[in-house]
Amino acid sequence: MTDGRRPMAHERGRGLSGRGSSGAGRFRVVASGAAPLALVAILVIYVSGPGSTMLEVGVPLPEVTIERVDFVGSEILATVRNTGPIPVSIAVADVNDRIHPAAVEPDAHLERYETAVVRIPFDWNVAEPYTIGITTDDGTRFEREVESAAPALSPSGELVAFFAVIGTYVGVIPVLIGLLWLPFIRRMGRQVYVFFLAVTVGLLFFLALDSVEEAVDVSQENLAGSFNGLMLLATSVVVSFLGLFYAGERLSGSRGPGDGGRAGEGDGRTGSGNGASPRLAGPMAIALMISIGIGLHNFGEGLAIGAAVGLGSVAFSSFLIVGFAIHNVTEGVAIAAPLSRERVAVWKLAGLGVLAGAPAIFGGWVGGFAYSPIASVVFLGVGAGAIFQVMVVLVRWIGRGGSPANGSNGRGASGGSGLSGAPFAAGIVVGMLIMYVTSILV
Amino acid sequence: MATGRPRAVVLALAAASAIAVLSASAISDVYTEAQRPPQTFLTHTGAVITTTGEVLDPVYQVSEVEFDPDEYLRNFEYGSISEDSKTGQTVREYVIVAEDDRVQEVAPGVFYNVWTFNGTVPGPTIRATEGDLVRITFVNNGTKPHTMHFHGIHPAIMDGVFEPVGGGGGQFTYEFEAGPVGVHPYHCHIMPLEEHIIHGLYGVFIVDPKEGRAPADEMVMVLNGFDTDFDAENNFYAANTVPFYYQHHPIQIERDRLIRVYVVNMVEFDPINNFHLHGNLFYYYPTGTDRSTSFYTDMITMSQTERGIMEFTYEHTGKFLFHAHKVEFSEKGWVGVFLVKDPGPGDDGDYGGDSSVDNGDDNGDDNGDGYAATGGYSGAAGGSTRDVTGPAAAYDGREAPDGA
Repeated sequence: MTDGRRPMAHERGRGLSGRGSSGAGRFRVVASGAAPLALVAILVIYVSGPGSTMLEVGVPLPEVTIERVDFVGSEILATVRNTGPIPVSIAVADVNDRIHPAAVEPDAHLERYETAVVRIPFDWNVAEPYTIGITTDDGTRFEREVESAAPALSPSGELVAFFAVIGTYVGVIPVLIGLLWLPFIRRMGRQVYVFFLAVTVGLLFFLALDSVEEAVDVSQENLAGSFNGLMLLATSVVVSFLGLFYAGERLSGSRGPGDGGRAGEGDGRTGSGNGASPRLAGPMAIALMISIGIGLHNFGEGLAIGAAVGLGSVAFSSFLIVGFAIHNVTEGVAIAAPLSRERVAVWKLAGLGVLAGAPAIFGGWVGGFAYSPIASVVFLGVGAGAIFQVMVVLVRWIGRGGSPANGSNGRGASGGSGLSGAPFAAGIVVGMLIMYVTSILV
Repeated sequence: MATGRPRAVVLALAAASAIAVLSASAISDVYTEAQRPPQTFLTHTGAVITTTGEVLDPVYQVSEVEFDPDEYLRNFEYGSISEDSKTGQTVREYVIVAEDDRVQEVAPGVFYNVWTFNGTVPGPTIRATEGDLVRITFVNNGTKPHTMHFHGIHPAIMDGVFEPVGGGGGQFTYEFEAGPVGVHPYHCHIMPLEEHIIHGLYGVFIVDPKEGRAPADEMVMVLNGFDTDFDAENNFYAANTVPFYYQHHPIQIERDRLIRVYVVNMVEFDPINNFHLHGNLFYYYPTGTDRSTSFYTDMITMSQTERGIMEFTYEHTGKFLFHAHKVEFSEKGWVGVFLVKDPGPGDDGDYGGDSSVDNGDDNGDDNGDGYAATGGYSGAAGGSTRDVTGPAAAYDGREAPDGA
């Protein structure tokens, strides 16, 4: 579909500019674009509209998904959504397969994708597993298991602070600490510099895969099949990657691969980069993109942490926080590496660190207080796409030699400092290994 | 080229807003109705709920009364009676019609395709005296073959196993002498047998001794279950089909009066079922075949189609629970209450007193009049007609006393 449409739109654009003033031509273009849509609408109405019995074959089965379970006071709250093809009514609620009276708000009848909250009075016990069951009017029972009951979080000042502290520990502080390696990287020779850039690529690659894995987990555990979690993830990744890639190209004024013209140091060719601010180009731009990508990733990580605490599936130990913190120090290195040939104001550096780390705090709030599996999948996918985009930028950067002095002389020339050199390969391997080892701590 | 930057910004904005819309729609729940003012409900377990929504509880869910457990409880079908002119034998004739296309509300709000004898699950309670000739004209109006297989003593051809009766109006006449004395199940015996039983093709067959039994307030309880999602586990259990029914419509009995319960276990899937009576013990006659018993207990265990007669008398008034002490079953509906009241003419409840109790051969084919006013299992109807005192009122009223 998409493939078919794109060239069409392209042609339409050309046609328009070609015959600019021709009203009839314009109409024809609009009509040719709209006609298939109208036909699709007619098809839909004909097949599924009122009075149509043509396709009433087979029996549509109801499906209800219990999206979340909250333990509040002496009640269990189950948020249910009709994720099946037909409307359903909720008839019975049970806890551990034992029927209990309950209330449904706003009401028991659910149209497609409508949600309701089932409130079951139940004196639950902390840390015990529970299975919540919902039976629909046709007698089908759907259930959701909670590994360990924990009191639901409500956005009290104390909890807001709690998540802020956790987010600071696992996000902001480690990233800032990682940035402190900047002077160290700065003193290294070019080979080592390329190595550190490659380490960053490895770190980012690991993070992106980590985001994808996390999103796959969320979609499998918490998303109904009808939401098509995997494709939602794939779409989020691609949209995010292409969107940021395009924006990045525009902002940095780069003309694409093979063009050595980084806008950085007033190289003559920068002129083609139109009105892009020179400040946004070069190493600083790359560091900024890395920060944004890691920030999106950390937002997703914060969501996961908040949701885990909120849903009681994780005992949030100090050990775990330590693990996350060590793991995330590496993210600071990733931001620092491209900046090591630049003079950067400390406040800018700190700003980059906060940009990358602070989203963990917001993620924690959102995940803890308003967890939504769909939002989690989308954010994790966007984060992964952002990181992939940064990787591409970094790899190209390394390909050009990783140094302004090297100019357009890339492609692994000059003693293996580029993509075919040992530092690049070793860096990626080391980066991924570092991430893997620190991830064991989490 | 001059358009490059705005276009990038527009693109980025578009992507961002698309993401925002996606996630916002995911975060916010979709509600279609305005909220009602909160009301407070006291549920059948005693739990109190204050809600702006609906209550999922048998007490508050108004159901279509397709099967009335109160009516079934004390209803015995004696058949149309005649006397064989030659032998002087009493002949009891019945017409039993099987169907398999009904969808019945087996629990409040839960609809299930029941297969029925004479339109109900369980089928009618067929009652005869030992030695009577029972003649049953069986009509199969279903879509599948069905039979009637009686537990008891009869010729092979009358066993309802090897003579499937075709659907769409197929007929067969079962004829046999009632015996032995006791309480027996009957059920369809077409393969796959389990499927035909769990859909509801079963009922109770009582054979009274010629000399009769001591006068008593008699009732039938079929312990059954429904596997509404076909996973080979029962979703609901009950005494007489409707889960929790007798808990919020207590069975009203009199103090110092002999109570006789014909109890038959028709639960499938679970190897055992049991019956526990509160505040009392009962004499238990397994299968009802013996006239004396050494079982004096408050707890019996029954496997599939095991059955017997329970006899007891309460010396205290009040509410007494009876339920499966396999608590899973009771928490899925197999639980009820006896409300023991002082006997006397002052009782203006809908329980009709002595006159309404049939005891064998008086040809009363339906003593249900005294109980018909119970209005099924809509809580409001029950509450308005019953003389229930104290906390019990909460089980029948639509709202808790402290309701908003």
